[in-house]
Amino acid sequence: MSCVNGTRITVNSLSVRYADREESALCGVSEQIDPGEVLVVSGPSGCGKSTLCKALCKFIPEMIPAHVEGEILIDGLSIRDIRSQQIATQLGLVQQDPDSQICTLNVWQEVAFGPENLCLSREEVSARVEECLSTAGISHLADRETTTLSGGEKQRVAIASILAMRPSVVLLDEPTANLDPQGAKAIFEIMDDLRKKGKYTLIVVEHRLTPLLQMHPRLLLLSGGKVVARRSSVCHKDLEALGLRADWDISLPLLPRARRATLFVDAVSFGYEGTPLFEDLSFKLWPGEILGIIGPNGSGKTTLLRLIAELEKPASGRIVRDGDPGVGFIFQQPHQQIFERTVRREFEVDGSIGRKDLHCVLEGARLAGLENAPPLSLSLGEQRRLTFAIALSRNSSLLLLDEPFIGQDAKNVSWIISQLLAARRHGTATLVVSHDIPLVASLCDRLLYLGERTFFGEKDEVLSQLREAGKRAFTPTYWEQEQA
Amino acid sequence: MIAKVSYHKGYAGLHRVTPMANVLLLVGFLVAVLVSPSILVKLGVFLLVIGLLVISGERVGSFLSKTRFVLLFGVVLFIAQAFSIREGTVLLSRGFVVTDCGLLAGAQMAFRFLVIFSSSILFVLVTDPDRLAHSIEQIGIPYRYSFVLVLSLRFVPFFRKEYRTVRDAQQVRGINTSIHGFGGLLRSIRYTLFPLLVSGLMRVDSIAISMKGRCFGLYAKRTIAYKEHWQRADWAVLFLFCLLLATSALARKYAWL
Repeated sequence: MSCVNGTRITVNSLSVRYADREESALCGVSEQIDPGEVLVVSGPSGCGKSTLCKALCKFIPEMIPAHVEGEILIDGLSIRDIRSQQIATQLGLVQQDPDSQICTLNVWQEVAFGPENLCLSREEVSARVEECLSTAGISHLADRETTTLSGGEKQRVAIASILAMRPSVVLLDEPTANLDPQGAKAIFEIMDDLRKKGKYTLIVVEHRLTPLLQMHPRLLLLSGGKVVARRSSVCHKDLEALGLRADWDISLPLLPRARRATLFVDAVSFGYEGTPLFEDLSFKLWPGEILGIIGPNGSGKTTLLRLIAELEKPASGRIVRDGDPGVGFIFQQPHQQIFERTVRREFEVDGSIGRKDLHCVLEGARLAGLENAPPLSLSLGEQRRLTFAIALSRNSSLLLLDEPFIGQDAKNVSWIISQLLAARRHGTATLVVSHDIPLVASLCDRLLYLGERTFFGEKDEVLSQLREAGKRAFTPTYWEQEQA
Repeated sequence: MIAKVSYHKGYAGLHRVTPMANVLLLVGFLVAVLVSPSILVKLGVFLLVIGLLVISGERVGSFLSKTRFVLLFGVVLFIAQAFSIREGTVLLSRGFVVTDCGLLAGAQMAFRFLVIFSSSILFVLVTDPDRLAHSIEQIGIPYRYSFVLVLSLRFVPFFRKEYRTVRDAQQVRGINTSIHGFGGLLRSIRYTLFPLLVSGLMRVDSIAISMKGRCFGLYAKRTIAYKEHWQRADWAVLFLFCLLLATSALARKYAWL
């Protein structure tokens, strides 16, 4: 369907260099985005995808200091002398983290926030709110407090809030990155509905490309801030040819029999403020074993890791750990675990490390040459690899990893996998919480699904139980084949 | 410390009145305890706050447990005043001296402190910050200022959660943050404050983008979709406010106990 009154965006030789960086985030990018089209922007971590989105909306350089060269035209008009708030009447940006873009305390108010700023009449504001809540499938949440919503619900509120501005271009910057498969599926469905309505131009930054193929998008592939490939239409084979779809066919050698389990979770129950998260949860984790923990947002996956790390106490039951008392634990947000002034000192918090060893570790983690860099100046993906490398360097018998793959491109994911397999050979038991179902299903020896019901066992067995229970979004076939 | 005091939706008592009426009531409480010299008036106001908590559907047990630090501090204030003031008739002399003036001054100080804190907590529990921001806009204060309030309230639970996570991260990595001496204090500040600051700044950036991305600040005025209407319950609160002012004035004029 064509978009009659859409907005045409023209980008001419756009280069962006952040104020605190020497290298450019974008180098001479030129592109034309026509009304009504779906453009998918992809590429490895740090390739400039988010920078492009923020530059189009003029948040760079208006709010994020950067040196910008080149030109962006909206309907032939340069945005150089236009404020970002004016651009926002045509271009709406949905950010990655659903939690940090909500600025009021109630869903209805949140969606009304934009139209109120446009000084529309009360009747018009109400009409837009009702319409957009319905489009995002969240009319039932209108009276809810925003703090009580799940990640998926918050992201749908964020989309409804942008739609209420009636922009002609909607930019979605990795909108599903922090969402569970069910939440991600809902967001992909909303995007497809928007495309079918034909009123919007969609610019989507995504790593999970397979579900987007049904929208017949155009593809723009960035690497190192430059456009390295363009495709006017994309199919499954293109993704493979461009290295955008990795088949994680990981072979897991049989583990030697062990006499004692590294971890024994024995009839553990836990809940918050009277709401149970899990009851009588029991399982054993053997040396070298990798256990994948999957389930919807808020089902207690992170809480389980916290219980095992003794950051919480179970309401009943016990958790017994064999071997050394320390664990290697990486949190979802890496900056919360970073305390020192340089990367080298950050490693030394957990014990001394030789110059040669440090160099080796950093090179593997694609952090070479950053020994003396302030860790908080690294990108989020780099920070996550740093905290992962530090957790590994503790040589604990137990690793707890909370979403280690978010924001990592295929190369970095391969490095993390290789390290986990090496740790597996050395007898380190690992628990991995992840929403990347195909990867978890391939990497792990066994799976634990936490949700309204708990499924635990060999991965094929658990995946088959999930299929039978109607939870197809939590099975790899949904993401690899059905969507294709 | 005071644990998790935040607004939650309710339909009884002060939850039903407009936010500006709640502001008025809070002002009434503050005036009563700061202007009136009477202990009985202060005691009455404290009991009124507790009564309004009950009427508004809040559990007194939960309130007392949340404010036990405040109550304890009130008791400490009372004792400190009672033992430090030597003027007046001596009531007890056992190596330390307790006088009637000391007891009165202690009670004055303790009740003043209790009423200020308990009425502020009551206000936070029953006032929807979004509606309050709209009410402030409605009376003509520029919306940029009223939104500062909403945003600060958005950040309270965020910082509470972040603080806990950072402390957990320190525990997991075996970092000792106990404060021994100046060096320990500096290390504790660096290991706790910096990650919190980074989280806060990242959140501020995202929220600012989200707000500007929805045209915040484009025009000098904005629509207020939800208009507050003065209702019967608000008149009752206004009456209570006037009563508080009148009582305070009378107590001051006739020097009630």
